[in-house]
Amino acid sequence: MNRRVLVAGALVVLPLLAVLVMNLGRDPHSIRSPLIGRPAPPFELRPVGGGGPRSLASLRGKPVVLNFWATWCMPCLEEHAALTAGARRYEPGVQFLGIVYDDEEARATSFLKQRGSSYPSLMDEGGRTAIVYGVAGVPETYFIDASGKVVSKYAGPLSPEVLAALVREAGGAS
Amino acid sequence: MTPALGRALILLALLLSTVGSTVAFASGRRPTAAGLRWTRRFAYAFAAAIAAANAVMLYALLAHDFSVSYVAHVGSRAVPTWVSFVSLWSSLEGSILFWGLVLGAYVAAATWALRDDHPEYMPYATGVWLATAAFFCFLLAGPAQPFATQSPVPADGPGPNPLLQNHVLMAIHPPCLYLGYVGMTIPFGLACAALLAGRLGHGFLRPLRTWLLLPWIFLTMAVVLGGWWAYEVLGWGGYWAWDPVENASLLPWLTATAALHSALLSERKGVLKGWTVTLVLGSFLLTILGTFMTRSGVFNSVHSFTQSAIGPTILAFLAAATIFSVLLLALRIDRLAPEGQLVNGPGRDALFLLNNLVFVLFTFTVLIGTVFPLVVEAVNGAQMSVGRPYFDRMAVPLGAALLFLMGVGPALPWGRATSEQVRRALLPPTGAGLGLAGLGFLLGARSPWTLLTLFFGGYTAYVTFVELWLPVRQRMRSGEGIVEAFAEAQLRRGRRRFGGYVVHAGATIVIVSIAVSSTMGVSKEVQLREGERFDLGAYSLTFVKAESVAEPHRNAVVARVGVSRNGRELGEMTPRMNQYDSQREPIGTPAVRTFLTEDLYLSVMNIDPERGTLGLLAMINPMVGWIWIATGIMALGGVIALVPQRTAAASRPAPLAVPAASGAAAEGSR
Repeated sequence: MNRRVLVAGALVVLPLLAVLVMNLGRDPHSIRSPLIGRPAPPFELRPVGGGGPRSLASLRGKPVVLNFWATWCMPCLEEHAALTAGARRYEPGVQFLGIVYDDEEARATSFLKQRGSSYPSLMDEGGRTAIVYGVAGVPETYFIDASGKVVSKYAGPLSPEVLAALVREAGGAS
Repeated sequence: MTPALGRALILLALLLSTVGSTVAFASGRRPTAAGLRWTRRFAYAFAAAIAAANAVMLYALLAHDFSVSYVAHVGSRAVPTWVSFVSLWSSLEGSILFWGLVLGAYVAAATWALRDDHPEYMPYATGVWLATAAFFCFLLAGPAQPFATQSPVPADGPGPNPLLQNHVLMAIHPPCLYLGYVGMTIPFGLACAALLAGRLGHGFLRPLRTWLLLPWIFLTMAVVLGGWWAYEVLGWGGYWAWDPVENASLLPWLTATAALHSALLSERKGVLKGWTVTLVLGSFLLTILGTFMTRSGVFNSVHSFTQSAIGPTILAFLAAATIFSVLLLALRIDRLAPEGQLVNGPGRDALFLLNNLVFVLFTFTVLIGTVFPLVVEAVNGAQMSVGRPYFDRMAVPLGAALLFLMGVGPALPWGRATSEQVRRALLPPTGAGLGLAGLGFLLGARSPWTLLTLFFGGYTAYVTFVELWLPVRQRMRSGEGIVEAFAEAQLRRGRRRFGGYVVHAGATIVIVSIAVSSTMGVSKEVQLREGERFDLGAYSLTFVKAESVAEPHRNAVVARVGVSRNGRELGEMTPRMNQYDSQREPIGTPAVRTFLTEDLYLSVMNIDPERGTLGLLAMINPMVGWIWIATGIMALGGVIALVPQRTAAASRPAPLAVPAASGAAAEGSR
C-alpha cells in the first residue's frame, strides 16, 4: 500500500465527490431571488374576465402559489395542467393565483375558457407587479408562505412533482 | 411487441456483461485457455446483444413505432429521415443506448485485436470493460429505460429538440464525442489490468498507447466539432464559451493528451509507468464525470439533457469507479517498477515532464472553474458563475506554455544536453518566431499575448518542420529521391513519429488561430431598413429584403443581405430567425462565408418583415476556418500514428540513449 498515493488520491477525489453529492437534488431552474425570505410585495389586481380586485394581503394566513404566465408562452401551456390539478388538490388550504404577463385580456380569457382553470388569473396592467417581483421570463412561479414571506421561486414549467415539493416547502400540506 | 423485444435484448446484454465480467476476473486469477476463450465469447456476445437492441430502436424510430416510449418522446412523422436517424442519440435514454452500442463495438474490436496477445493482462482488461458495460446495461434496464411500452399509442410525436435539427453537424458531433468518451473505457481496462496483474511490461505499453490514441482522435474532433456547431448555429460569433459541458469534453482530452506523452516516455525509457496509468484512469473517470454533468441536471448548460433520475445512479458509479481506481493505484503502483531512469537537467526528458505538468495544471484549472460555482452554492447558497474571465486568464498562459514546450521539447536531444547543444538547438527557430510575430504586428496584432503566441507559433512551426524534414533529408543524402525517401523514412519506418509531428503541426495552427481569432476580430451591430448599406472592413453589405418562409416544422424569417468585397459582388448571404412550433424563443441561424484568412459572419438580432427592418450583427473573424482545418490535420496525424508499423522493431526495447536529433534513428519516437 502506497500511503502517499492513497492520501493524494483521497484529497483530490473525496472533496469533488462530496460537492457533487451535495448538489444532487439541485435544480438549476429553482432560481434564488432577492425576495426569498422577505415579505412578498403586495398587489391588488383585477381578475381576468371581470370582478372585484384581489389583493395579496387578503390571503394572509394561507400559502400562495403565484404563477406568472402568458398565452404566447409554450412552456406555460405545458405546465397549465399541473397547476390546474394542483390548485384543485390543495383547495382550500393553498391559494393559487395566476398573473398574466405582457398579454391581452381577450386572449387570456379564451385561453382559460379553452384549457379550463381552477383558480383566478389577474391582469397586471403595465407589468408593474412583474417588475416588482423581478420576473425575467415566463413561466415563473413564486411560493409564498402563510405569513406572506416568499419561500422559493421557480423558473420554467412546473411538473406535478416539483410543484408538490415546493408547495410542501411553503407550508401547504396535501 | 417491439418494446418487449428491445427490453429482452437489454436484459440479455446485462446478463452477458455481468456473467462475462465475473468469468473474466476469475480467469484472471487462475488463467486457463478455456477461461480466456469464454471471456472473449462473452465480450462478443455482449456486443452482439447491445447492437441488436440498437437495431430494434433504429427500426422503431424509422418506422415511427410510437408504442416504444422513446420514439413517442422524440420521434415525429414530420421530420426528415436523417433527423429520425439521429434521434437515436438526441435524448437521454437513446443516448445511453447508443453509448452501449459504441461500447460494444469497442469491446469487440479490442478483444479481437488483442486475442492472441498478453494472456496475463487480457482477462482483467475484459473484466473491467464488461463491468462498465454491465453498469450501462443496468441504466438501460432500469433508470433510463428506452423501451418502455407507451400506452395509449400516440398518432405522432413531438420530434427531437429543435436546436439539434438546426444543423447537420449535430449528426456528426455527438457520435464523435461518444466514440471519444466511450473509447476511454478500453485504455482504462488495460491500465486496470496492468495494476491488477501487478506489472506493466514494455510489450503491453504499445496496445495501451494505441487504444488510447484511437479515442483521443475522436475526442479531439468532437471537442472542436462542438465549437464549430456552436459557431454555425448559436449565432453569437464565438466557438467556445467555457460552458460546463464543453469543459466536460475538454477535461479528458487534456489528461489523455498528457497520458499519450507520458506513455511514450514509459515505452521508451521504462519510466513513469505509475504516472501514465494514473493519467489513463483519470481520463476515463473524467468521461464519466462529463456524463454525469450532462445528465444529472446539476449543471445548467445548453447541452444538458432534461432532468432525470439517473443522476444519482451515474454519481454512484462515478464514486465507485473513482474509489476503486484510487485504491487500486495505492495498492499496486509500487509494483510497476521503473526499468530505466529519467535524466535530470536540460533535455527532452525534462521537457516531457514539464509538458505533463502543464497539462495536469490545465486540467485542474478547468475542473476547479467548472465545479467552483457548485461549491459556493453548497456553502452559502449564492448563485454565481465563474465565467469567461477566469478561464481566459488561466487558459491563455497555459495554452501559450504548451505551444512553447511543443517547440522546445522536440528541438532538444534526449537525455541531458550540453549548453552548446541547447544553444544550437534553440537559437535557429527564434528567427522563425520573430518573423511570425513581426508579420502579426504588421497586420495589426497589438495584444502582448497574441504576439507572444505568434512568436511561439513560428518557433514551434519551424522545429516541427525540421523534425518532419530531417529524416527525409538524411535518406536523400544517401541518394534516394524525395518521394522514395519520404515513403521510407516517414511512412514505413518512423510512422508514429511522423504522425506525432503532424499532430504537432495541426495543434500549432489551432493555438495560433485561436489567439488571432479571439483578439483580432472586428464586429459591428447595425439597424438597417430595406435597401440600406453599410461597410465593414473590406466588405460592403446591403440589406435587400426580409422574407417569411414557412417550412413543415418551423417558420423562419430570412434576411437577404447582398455582399461585396473590395467592390466585387459575392452574391447574397441569408442569416435567419427560426421559430419552431415547440419553442417560445426564436432561434437565429447565422450565415457564415469563409475565405482563406477570415470569415464574414452575419447574425440576425431582430427582424421585422412587415416594417422591413433588420438588426444585424456583422463580424469579421480572422483565421477561424483554420481551426477546423488544423483539427483535421491533428486527426490525420493521429490516424497516421495509429496504423500499425510492419517492422519488428517495435517489439524490442528502444535503445536507451539516442544521439541528438538523429531523427530517423529514433524509431518510434515522436
